[in-house]
Amino acid sequence: MKPFIGWVASLGVGLVVGFGLAGARAADKPYEGMTLNLASQNDQFAAVLAAIAPEFEAKTGAKVNVDILSYPELLTKITADYVGHTKGYELATVDIVWSGQFAEAGYTVDLSDWIKRDAAEIKVDDIYPSLMASLGGYKGKQVAFPFAGYANVLAYRKDLYEAAGLKPPTTMEAFVADALKLTDKSKKVYGFVANGQKGPAVAQDWMQYNRQFGGSILDKDGKPALNSSANIASVVAYKKLFDEAAPPGAADYDWGGREESFRQGLVANMQTWSIGAADYDNPKVSKIAGKAGIMLTPSAKGQPQEYGIGGWSLGINKDIDPKKQEAAWAFIKWVTSPAVHKELNMRGAGSYLRKSEMTDPELLAKYPFLPVIATSFEHGDGDFRPRIPQYPELQDLIGSAINAVLVGEADPKTAMDAAQAKAETLFK
Amino acid sequence: MSAVSRDGAAGAHDADALSIGWSYAAKRQMFLAALAAPALVYVLAIAVGPMVQGFLYSFDSYNLIRPASRHFVGLDNYLDLWRDPTARRALINTFAFTFGAVTLEFVLGLGIALLLWRDDWFNRIALGLLLIPATVTPLVVGLVFKALLSPEYGMLGYPLAELGLTSPRGLLADPQRALAALVAIDAWEWTPLMALILLAGLKSLRTDILEAAAVDGANASQRLRLIILPLLMPAAFLALILRMMDAFRVFDIIFVTTGGGPGDATDTLMIYGVKQGLEFFNIGAASAVSTVIVACILVVAAAFIGVLKPARNRNA
Repeated sequence: MKPFIGWVASLGVGLVVGFGLAGARAADKPYEGMTLNLASQNDQFAAVLAAIAPEFEAKTGAKVNVDILSYPELLTKITADYVGHTKGYELATVDIVWSGQFAEAGYTVDLSDWIKRDAAEIKVDDIYPSLMASLGGYKGKQVAFPFAGYANVLAYRKDLYEAAGLKPPTTMEAFVADALKLTDKSKKVYGFVANGQKGPAVAQDWMQYNRQFGGSILDKDGKPALNSSANIASVVAYKKLFDEAAPPGAADYDWGGREESFRQGLVANMQTWSIGAADYDNPKVSKIAGKAGIMLTPSAKGQPQEYGIGGWSLGINKDIDPKKQEAAWAFIKWVTSPAVHKELNMRGAGSYLRKSEMTDPELLAKYPFLPVIATSFEHGDGDFRPRIPQYPELQDLIGSAINAVLVGEADPKTAMDAAQAKAETLFK
Repeated sequence: MSAVSRDGAAGAHDADALSIGWSYAAKRQMFLAALAAPALVYVLAIAVGPMVQGFLYSFDSYNLIRPASRHFVGLDNYLDLWRDPTARRALINTFAFTFGAVTLEFVLGLGIALLLWRDDWFNRIALGLLLIPATVTPLVVGLVFKALLSPEYGMLGYPLAELGLTSPRGLLADPQRALAALVAIDAWEWTPLMALILLAGLKSLRTDILEAAAVDGANASQRLRLIILPLLMPAAFLALILRMMDAFRVFDIIFVTTGGGPGDATDTLMIYGVKQGLEFFNIGAASAVSTVIVACILVVAAAFIGVLKPARNRNA
């Protein structure tokens, strides 16, 4: 009898210990065996995100597959996923301009309540309010959580400015004058460059330029005003810059072509997203290492000093089950936490979010231009590209019209009148 | 007479079938139908079904982003293809591109096929090398030519711009020449395929007819015009139809080189349709574009058949 009692006791102790350990393991890794698929834009952060994701699995048990996609592919795939309720992606990177569309369609989980609940853990106060409002925020909803903030900055060539005896521009008027002065076509040096390629490329660069001169593509009532006199004047001036101060191929440049022209030493000035700044001093890819400066974008005289901001947020698919939503939210909190986000940027993600990152000694040593980004975020404007549901079509109309003007296929007024007529039909 | 006998026999079999079940012929038909059924179901489900559904969507205003606002608009989506200047330009460009590319490829392909007709080692090697462009993905071809034609660093674009032969912005940013440049790129890639099909046609010609013509005193030009070209019609028909169908729905090369620009200079129906469907999610408008593309290909193919079939029959 005694051996039997001993055996039962041992079994009991074993079971208790076993269940206890299993319970502890479950508590340690609450999402063991779960897989989260993340559709990511193919920006600088994507490869870093994919590399760091296994650390989340080690911590929580949830495996995160990062599917890196081009911009149109990303939008098409996630929209098809949301519309078809196929639950292919639990998480997706959401562009700043998609917020309105996503909020209207209700594709992603509204994170507002969760952010309030976990505010202390997230350290919400450490995140720039401009980024929180524009990256995923729309009319009181938070359809995605900010992840990668970009600031529009002015990249310029210190050596060319010094040689010409000029100081970098602090107003748009000076920017235009300098661009013309610094152009020497015989030496293949140009004072200006911007995206000229038809579509989103030229539309986005012109909208930024237009806003700095005080133009706006929507009127006070939120209706399109593409052919306002200020906008047409801005297109005329933009064409002049392309004709007289930009590399000849600029009318066909997208972001890659524009950045390359700067890195190859062709141009003296370029307004650009801060994400590219880290490469200018890298001699492996840049001929201007040590010669590039980064500063705040100028505004026209009399205009408020606001800076264009853009970037990406992380959204959770509304169709997935609550347990997966919880895991996806845990991932978002983890990847945007101060330590992990700093690590992403130490590895070259170029995607800033937190105030603490801008004063971090290690990050500052590596990226001395961070104070410029900090100021841009503090006075950031995420709406120079209106984050409204009609944005994709509006952007396409602008992109076609401006490109037609730049290549001489249409005059500014005709092009903007035609675009306005079409834009009005989108708002009926 | 034999047909009557067969029918009579079949009638007898049918009568048997009524009394003892399925006849052998009926069973055979059923068996063959069963073998074909999976393929038929597959085609219906994968191709015909979506096409019919797309056709039905084309009469609706239907945006995936705003599915609740879907409503019937009749022929509006089709009429918009002509009323909207961008869509109209895309339609015209598509025909211009198809006509330009297929004509150029046919003329060059015929010339190459005639040059390579003689079967010797040099021609065999040359033919093998010629086929290389056709093996490259059109997307890659587009990217390569975009780099080559860059006015700043392109091996072709830079000297052309420096010599003043193109605008300083380069060929692809010149509204007057961009479509022609794309036709040339397409011809670079697909002329070898055209040449290959025509060469196969040439090799299948009966040499005794050509030898007889030569003996009768026909010179080279007469042999080409009066014998070779008429006899080549079946191969030409195949080559033209294949390339026409492909050129009409060109997408990759244009998407990566110009994106339809500058302005609307190189917009085609496919570029316009993809933008409507996959960028703006206007399923109704995109479906109308798809239907028009299919209809245009059917009409042009029917026209080819109408023109070339009599000649083919004459040669048969």
